Amino acid sequence: MINCFKELYKFRELLIALTKREIKVRYKQTTLGAAWAILQPFSLMLIFSLVFGVFLGLESQELPYPIFYYSALLTWLFFSTSISFGSQAVINNSNLVSKIYFPREVLPFASVGAAILDFAVAGLIFILMMLFYKLPFSPNLIFILPICAILIFFTLSVVLFTSALVVIWRDLKFVVPLIIQIWMFASPIIYPVSKVPQNLRFLYMLNPMAVIIENFRRVTLFAKPPVLSEILIAFFVSIILFFISYKFFKIKERSFADII
Amino acid sequence: MDSSLIEFNNVYKSYSISRLKYKRFAEDIGQIFQRVLTRKKRTIQKEKFVALKNVNFKVKQGESLGIIGKNGAGKTTILKLISRVTYPDSGEIKADGKIGAFIELGAGLHPELSGRENIYLYGSILGMRKKEIDEKFDDIVKFSELRKFLDTPIKRYSSGMYARLGFSVVAFMDPDILVIDEVLAVGDKSFQERCLSKMNKFVKGNKTIIFVSHNLEAVKSICDRGILLDHGKIIKDGRVSEVINTYLANYS
Repeated sequence: MINCFKELYKFRELLIALTKREIKVRYKQTTLGAAWAILQPFSLMLIFSLVFGVFLGLESQELPYPIFYYSALLTWLFFSTSISFGSQAVINNSNLVSKIYFPREVLPFASVGAAILDFAVAGLIFILMMLFYKLPFSPNLIFILPICAILIFFTLSVVLFTSALVVIWRDLKFVVPLIIQIWMFASPIIYPVSKVPQNLRFLYMLNPMAVIIENFRRVTLFAKPPVLSEILIAFFVSIILFFISYKFFKIKERSFADII
Repeated sequence: MDSSLIEFNNVYKSYSISRLKYKRFAEDIGQIFQRVLTRKKRTIQKEKFVALKNVNFKVKQGESLGIIGKNGAGKTTILKLISRVTYPDSGEIKADGKIGAFIELGAGLHPELSGRENIYLYGSILGMRKKEIDEKFDDIVKFSELRKFLDTPIKRYSSGMYARLGFSVVAFMDPDILVIDEVLAVGDKSFQERCLSKMNKFVKGNKTIIFVSHNLEAVKSICDRGILLDHGKIIKDGRVSEVINTYLANYS
């Protein structure tokens, strides 16, 4: 395992180069270019506010609908774009994988790297929205950092796992978007966690995305500290998951060039 | 003195034919269920295509080895094993030092990006540092003769231009072991000659080269030693001219 990280470190510049490539290629020949990084969460926020807020009148914990939805879409879209691009990262680069040696995990990592940039851009809009809605900037905002760390580690482990599986079973290419859809409804994006029945709450919070989104909201919208026990569990779960899926990826990696 | 840079010990490599492409999800799930229900171990033996059978050879530093043989003899598989793109079923492979592999033209180049961007991208795929590429950038561009098209997306390049760009980057990465598959077929005469002279210079610099080609003249001019492969077995290993003669006598 240590050797894996050494090798990855040796190829760190490749990781940077591939991340840049992913960003460049993704927005090349699109007129709006990087504006899509903002438009995607922004338009979803508008639709959610209109449909779930105005039409259906769902609860938003006494917050304006736009910022209630946007605060969740921010982390969720980072997760879902990372997975939809990252899970295909290895098969989309089959010409590289079957011809050139390099640690294969840089491919899914680069997809996550590109999504981090989108996340940062969308995050700036979030800050503007916090100013617009006059939300307080409390010292608790510092907890955004550990929450984002959990988010990134968890995303990386899901991406490593799916990208390796998609090589083995191409059918999963179509299953992954479906799972993301279902996962979205299993996470507190269009509703607050308080809507989940108390006796199911424990089960519900086993989903690391639920912990991440809920605590991100607590910290940013309510200026409260995160629920420490939830954060700690999610942190250890995502770290352990990261090592397991990394190992899984490295074992499967050896056969990539032959079956891709 | 045993200073072999590359060693193949009883290397065996096969590819499965029945699933040459990729596994089918439903089929696998079905099999898993079947195995659970009947409590049987996997009995179905997959059909295999054996690419290499107990291959043994050593390459010392400074040697230039040409691998020849018919299509499907296992030449490219050897190159892929050396460069760690794929792994053997059994046997051991040792390959020390920085390996520069040019196994297929265009692999590693991205069509949407410009020539300039591709030089950096391909360089880093091959394990070069950005600083290193900065230093060699002018030499690479000069060698490829593509200065005019540096900012054109390479999807507009011709296949000859692709090959020139790719080979130029590999040629300047300065590896310890240079691994080259049949790639010179595309470039024009003058570029081919420059490639050959570059490889010759490489050999003279006491570096190791493994060269696969159907262009026997090119193999002869670069390599001292030759290996003749047939159906995954080494038929002959020796001086390049003798190996080529055996090949010509038996296979054409």
